[in-house]
Amino acid sequence: MKETTRSQSVDSPTERTASSTGDPVRQPSSIEMQGLHKRFGRDTVALNGVDLTIEAGEFFTLLGPSGCGKTTLLRILAGLEEPDDGRLAIGDRDITEAPPHKRSVNTVFQSYALFPHLSVRENLAFGLKMQGLAAAERDARVARVAEFIQLGDLVDRRVDQLSGGQRQRIALARALVCEPDVLLLDEPLSALDAGLRGQLQVELLRIQKRLGMTFVFVTHDQQEAMVMSDRIAVLNGGIIQQVGPPREVYERPANAFVARFMGHDNLYPITARDGDRLTTSLGELTAEAAGEGGLLLIRPETLDLLPGEVAGENHLSATVSERLYRGSHAEYRLEIGDTTLQATLNNRGRHLPEMGERVTVVVAPVDLVTLSE
Amino acid sequence: MRKRTLRRGLVGFWWLTLTFLYLPLAVVVLFSFNAANSAATFTGISLRWYRQLLGNEQIVSAFVNSMILAITSSAIALVIGSLIGYGMYRHRHRKLGWLIVLIYLPIVLPDIVFGISEMVFFVRIYDLTGLFRPGLVTMIIAHVTFQIPFVGLIVYSRFVGLDPTLFEAAKDLYAAPVKRVIHFMLPTIKPALISAFFLSFTLSVDDFVISFFTAGPESATLPIYIWGAIKKGVSPEINAIAALMIGAVAIAAFLSLLFSQRRRT
Repeated sequence: MKETTRSQSVDSPTERTASSTGDPVRQPSSIEMQGLHKRFGRDTVALNGVDLTIEAGEFFTLLGPSGCGKTTLLRILAGLEEPDDGRLAIGDRDITEAPPHKRSVNTVFQSYALFPHLSVRENLAFGLKMQGLAAAERDARVARVAEFIQLGDLVDRRVDQLSGGQRQRIALARALVCEPDVLLLDEPLSALDAGLRGQLQVELLRIQKRLGMTFVFVTHDQQEAMVMSDRIAVLNGGIIQQVGPPREVYERPANAFVARFMGHDNLYPITARDGDRLTTSLGELTAEAAGEGGLLLIRPETLDLLPGEVAGENHLSATVSERLYRGSHAEYRLEIGDTTLQATLNNRGRHLPEMGERVTVVVAPVDLVTLSE
Repeated sequence: MRKRTLRRGLVGFWWLTLTFLYLPLAVVVLFSFNAANSAATFTGISLRWYRQLLGNEQIVSAFVNSMILAITSSAIALVIGSLIGYGMYRHRHRKLGWLIVLIYLPIVLPDIVFGISEMVFFVRIYDLTGLFRPGLVTMIIAHVTFQIPFVGLIVYSRFVGLDPTLFEAAKDLYAAPVKRVIHFMLPTIKPALISAFFLSFTLSVDDFVISFFTAGPESATLPIYIWGAIKKGVSPEINAIAALMIGAVAIAAFLSLLFSQRRRT
């Protein structure tokens, strides 16, 4: 492909001058992935058959531990890696073979990757200049994005005068100013401290909602994924384990891997089953619409603790073996026979059971979920 | 108390080393301004030897040769060496151990071995084809060969010091291959290129041994001229040439250092 085909392939940037970053003017794009495979060397399988559809205008997160394939998938979307097999389309255009500079996709890199030889302003204008926009047009677009992201006087600084958070915002602005069909974010907040991180999460989310642009976000932090995303795909071993909205992934994980990755520890093999009656090492429990799997999940925050011994359905006698008081809530470790159970209790001014206290754990049947190993 | 004595001793040693290194140079520079004919006495400051230099056609032609040789060879070595440096960077993950050693070898090889090899090589080619008669061209080729490793290594180390995602960011921001070179790679390594050029320049001006073996009758450079002249005794004129060369090389080395230390973000 030659230069001449580029104006079409990059979505003719000159026609889009009116929109710029400010209001959701243009149609966002969907992404279609089919049977993506990628291996590195002989033994490392990064992606092992990924089928995924990302809706237009969605804030979509690829979540998983390091080495799960999420970064490889993002790099394939960017065109920085080529899949060994499978197809990839943005909107109705197949881009499996397109090199990165011919895709209307921009990336916010984990290391920000700001050009050290250029000023902040020149960094922001780089993508537009490479697309062949005239200087006046570039200046106008850069000014608009600087206002939109509220960069203020950062634009006139040198790259080496910026802090981590400022670099992050410049990197975001540099990608957004190109108005891509899809914006990719590779753990963009992981290098920042917790406070700044939370602040930028909110800002990023606001920007995405206002632009209505399709965002694909990569992170290993399940909290961040839940805060930000419309939908999450959890990956492990190059395979998608589950795709769904945050509540679904957290409350009804598809398997033990997803459950553990989302932070659940209360998983118990079901040893016997009689309709809704499930037997585990905790004792017998009644579940409502629990599903078919062989593993029972009890979320700590669904549990209630009553002082003393109280009889009743789904009431379990337990001893407090650990209590972590956290102000707004307290985290408990409970012993039921030889089995350990975690519970979280909101601090509503009620009695918070002490270490060594005998308590009764109450589980509502609707809160019990089963899943497969 | 003892620590302080040791410190003073070390500081003294530092000055002693500097004196040892620079005193001979200082003497040469001082005597280049000597008004007297003899090198034994210093009678007053004068520029007569410098004026005499300009009147000596052999010296002026040697100076011109030195400059043509240094500038041309540095420019050629800059192009070839940069490509090698980039190649080394691009393929740094492959097992290229022995290839890298081949790049370093000319740096550690004795000049005399290098010079003789080049001479034999050129003479042989000349005998066979009539091409490469010893002269400026053969000297330029010889100089390029020993300058390339230095350029390659400087450019390579600049690339290695960069965040590798920068290359991806350039692609991601719609830069086609040629534009990546013009708008990203060249400006990013510019300080390294300038530094490498001036280092090559000083290496070329300094070189005597390799030039000596590859020069022709009309292509004497300043070091070769000096070598010939001191057989008749060290004249104050030689002091003046030496002083000028010290100045030129010091400036080039300083520029090379200045650009190699430019902030790398």
